[in-house]
Amino acid sequence: MNRLTFWRLLPFAVLVVFTAPLLIVLSSLIGDYSENWSHLFQFVLFDYVSSSLVLVIGVSILVLIIGTVTAWTVTSYNFVGKNIFEWALILPLSIPPYILAYTFTGLFDHYGDANNLARLLLNLQNSTAIFPNVRNIYGAIIVFSFTLYPYVYLVSRSAFINQSKSMKESARMLGLNQFQVFYKLALPLIRPAVIGGLMLVIMETLSDFGAVDHFAVQTFTTGIFRTWYGLYDIQTAMQLASLLLLTVGVFYIVERSSRGSGIYTSNNSTFSPSKEDSLVGYKALTAFLICFIPIFIGFILPIIELILWAYEVNLEFFNQKFISSSFNTLSLSLVTGMICAGLALLINFSIRYKPSAFVQRFSSLLSIGYAVPGLILAVGMVQLLVYIDALVLSGLDIVVTGSLIGLVLAYVIKTYALANSSIESGYERVSSSLDDSSKLLGSSGWSMLSSIHVPLLKTSILTSVLLVMSDVVKELPATLILRPFNFETLAVSTYIYASEERMLQAAAPAIAIVLIGLIPIVFLSKMIRSSRPTH
Amino acid sequence: MKKIQLLLIISLFGHVVMTNEVNVYTSRHYDSDDALYEEFTKETGIAVNIVSGKGSALLQRLKAEGVNSPADIFFTVDAGNLWKVQKEDLFQSIKSQEILKVVPENLRGPNNEWTAIAKRARVIFYNPDNVNEKMVEGISYEDLANPEWNNKIVIRSSSNMYNQSLVASLIASLGEENTEIWAKKLVNNFARKPQGNDRSQIIAVANGEADIAIANSYYIGIMLSGSAGEDQLTAAKKVRMIFPNQDNRGTHINISGAGILKNSPNPTNANLFLEFLLSKRVQKYMVDKSYEYPILDGVLPSKEIASFGISFKEDQTSVQKYGELNPDAVRLMDRSGWK
Repeated sequence: MNRLTFWRLLPFAVLVVFTAPLLIVLSSLIGDYSENWSHLFQFVLFDYVSSSLVLVIGVSILVLIIGTVTAWTVTSYNFVGKNIFEWALILPLSIPPYILAYTFTGLFDHYGDANNLARLLLNLQNSTAIFPNVRNIYGAIIVFSFTLYPYVYLVSRSAFINQSKSMKESARMLGLNQFQVFYKLALPLIRPAVIGGLMLVIMETLSDFGAVDHFAVQTFTTGIFRTWYGLYDIQTAMQLASLLLLTVGVFYIVERSSRGSGIYTSNNSTFSPSKEDSLVGYKALTAFLICFIPIFIGFILPIIELILWAYEVNLEFFNQKFISSSFNTLSLSLVTGMICAGLALLINFSIRYKPSAFVQRFSSLLSIGYAVPGLILAVGMVQLLVYIDALVLSGLDIVVTGSLIGLVLAYVIKTYALANSSIESGYERVSSSLDDSSKLLGSSGWSMLSSIHVPLLKTSILTSVLLVMSDVVKELPATLILRPFNFETLAVSTYIYASEERMLQAAAPAIAIVLIGLIPIVFLSKMIRSSRPTH
Repeated sequence: MKKIQLLLIISLFGHVVMTNEVNVYTSRHYDSDDALYEEFTKETGIAVNIVSGKGSALLQRLKAEGVNSPADIFFTVDAGNLWKVQKEDLFQSIKSQEILKVVPENLRGPNNEWTAIAKRARVIFYNPDNVNEKMVEGISYEDLANPEWNNKIVIRSSSNMYNQSLVASLIASLGEENTEIWAKKLVNNFARKPQGNDRSQIIAVANGEADIAIANSYYIGIMLSGSAGEDQLTAAKKVRMIFPNQDNRGTHINISGAGILKNSPNPTNANLFLEFLLSKRVQKYMVDKSYEYPILDGVLPSKEIASFGISFKEDQTSVQKYGELNPDAVRLMDRSGWK
């Protein structure tokens, strides 16, 4: 095959595989529309849509504030604990939203541990509760915001670090105060990166079922499942899911087109990294609290509650089942992480190598799997695997349905967005003049990728593997339906107990999810610590 | 890395076919069931392979897999799910006389497509410290719509299949119109927006947040056993359980049930498996662990559950009605504002 054709065709080939299960879901749109639609319109659809909107808007605002302000604080100032906060701020990424939701009700229900403790300390009556009820949309907004803000923090932080000191100094000289430098100059400049992170947050919020179901908030996604499970109408459920998919898709393409290109990269040779101001006194305390509170709510608090639960039951923690599900979880996430990163690298390279506006726009559709509720994706996936078995493999004695291949493919489609966001933003910082020079020197295709881009993108590649891993460790609904016989992951074990609200038993596997999720996070943190040019 | 590659290669070849096995898709996932499966293997030499998940999702996988499905048994905790599989014509009829002899007709599919394995009742809980026993004597589901219970009832969301089955059974008994009037009044009597699972409702009643909770019977057994922690044990000791509608058609019951799939590769083993689950010894073991009610006469429920009385009048509505009427029940609850 001609080299150029290979790079031109690659994104299309991947797009076909990635979109097949989604197209199976979307194909429901050309089928019949049942009378349940008029019922939905008349009674519940408005509630589903409006609560999803409130949820997404609330989470976006909170995540933007937490993510950018903490990133700005740790990149611009020096204060006590800063070196720890810099990496600890991503710890909440290891807590799945549904687990934070479970621990929240364990703490803040009327007779939850936090309210009990408060009553004990303040000597109050049983009828009073200090902490408000969290089983509502506000509770859900807090849960998503404090588990997902690290996506925005990560991209903001690396973007802030890459902002030049001279730029900020000029701004200060022109009379802007520190706050104005932040929101008038630094913030607008990192807009594309932040929006990329925010898209991930929005997609994850929209596709979640576990947390909103636990809080009894009726969102569009709970509506999809209610239609499927309750009205026994999978056709309408798929149509609803398709609408969700299309909305996110349109949003995504519009966001991409509005970005423009190249305005935000700095290949200024006089670039010098920013220097941090040292803070003392109440300013240092404020900075400390700004960073500590998100970590406390999103990580420390749920861990404490989980440990309390696990402590209450005597579990044989390290039994055979636990070890095998930990092994399954870890190896699946590693394999998925490497496949996703490899694909994202190849595709971003091919877009850069053979740019075309069309490919560029449609390659962003590859990321859309992230917005699909895992179970809906899994349903499309089962169908796809069955087709593959019937059409491709029927002669051979091989079945991919119910095999790990199907499961890994579903994970890859689901989490590709994470790998892509990291590699794409890495590429944004690799100046395209490098490519031109290497082309002039006779290097092209694979050799340009392997000897020039890969070394430059090492951090981004590793980040993408780790982000995908931390997400796969938490994945539940697709695993439940696609897994082979007798195959358990930690998320499955947690769910099995938690679905019966046996939180004491669910705590041990949940802690293990967090611990395994911490492995990639710790690596990420390490990279964050060493990614400061000034240190 | 080698190991992972190996793992992937093995799984690529999919399900390794063994001759002596039974493959179960189940939406029941109790630890005690695992022990049962092990016991079955020990006795018969037949390995039990499990995929557990939501009933509706497993049904979707079954449908997609079609004739190639490796599954022998579909095991689930709600009659509605069994009815769905039956309607898709994925079950074969159970022929075992041993099973047909012991399971009453209203707890089987119309052509013996499936059979109940255990029963649970949807009952009422109250706290005698807050509610006069006279008020709940002879109470029925219908009574809960009365104004005296205004702001006093807790029940979980209408997305829950146990509530959907309960409302479906009411539609079967009272008709859709009457049930809708009832549901609207019931929603008016809610003490709070539906939230949490059955256990949270019992705890709310124990703590005096509400007077009446509607929940499944086995939850109180789990709570009383102490396995769910000290708090739940204390809460459970505060409440009483009563069986509604004892003066007329009886208390609403639902089932855990299973059937043999049409394309079952191991139908003989599947049959043995069902017979095993419906043997006296296993029934006793199962209800002692899951706090459900047994299907077999002469087997007693666990002592925690038996303390609330071992015999009560059961609603004889055929459980397959729950499946048939489930979508109507959900639409009715939507119209009534039952969140």
